Amino acid sequence: MQIKIRAFARFSDLFGTASIIEVPEGSTVISVLRTVAADDEEKMKAIFTEEGQVRQHIIIVVNRSRIEHDDLMVHILGQDDELALLPPVAGG
Amino acid sequence: MIGITTDPIEIGPAIDAARTWNTGAIVSFVGTVREDDGVTEMEVEAYHDLAIPDLELIAADVSARYGLNYLHIVHRTGRLQVGETILLIVCSAAHRREAFVACEEILERIKERVPIWKRVFREGRGEWAPGHRE
Repeated sequence: MQIKIRAFARFSDLFGTASIIEVPEGSTVISVLRTVAADDEEKMKAIFTEEGQVRQHIIIVVNRSRIEHDDLMVHILGQDDELALLPPVAGG
Repeated sequence: MIGITTDPIEIGPAIDAARTWNTGAIVSFVGTVREDDGVTEMEVEAYHDLAIPDLELIAADVSARYGLNYLHIVHRTGRLQVGETILLIVCSAAHRREAFVACEEILERIKERVPIWKRVFREGRGEWAPGHRE
């Protein structure tokens, strides 16, 4: 199935602003994040700690809803879902 | 108005609009681009699909809790020069306490939650500003 990946601010410098990727049906958010970072050590370090956890400061959004880090391993994505990677916000 | 714009933000009309018959106090916050150690420009980026609903939620919540008569929140995106307005918040209420407290709460919640980022430029080189929680 196809998933749209979006990235913002400094993450867009690393991952691009938007892309479409192909992932297996039933993929979880964390498995898609691993796929997105798989080809590049810098991308992997930007998302994951050495222990393989998603860094706490990263905000993960699926279809415009924020996903708690505790749910990244269980939240299953569907065809045409949008997964966004957000660094800590700095507005105002 | 609650929203995001790429146009220069006008302050006067928003304050004029806040002068409702039942208003005794109008409080505004104007966030501007500061020349910090050679900053010449700032680029502001937003995830609009999430930022606008976030701003609307903050506005509705704060308006209801403080009984605001009028509320205007506009955040700018795009390239801004030193001195330009990044964010305008205008609150009006019957009494000053609610207007002051509401304005501050809105600002702090925007800084903490709304998906907006800034990149500052010095000598032509851009650097993303550290975010909340960094």
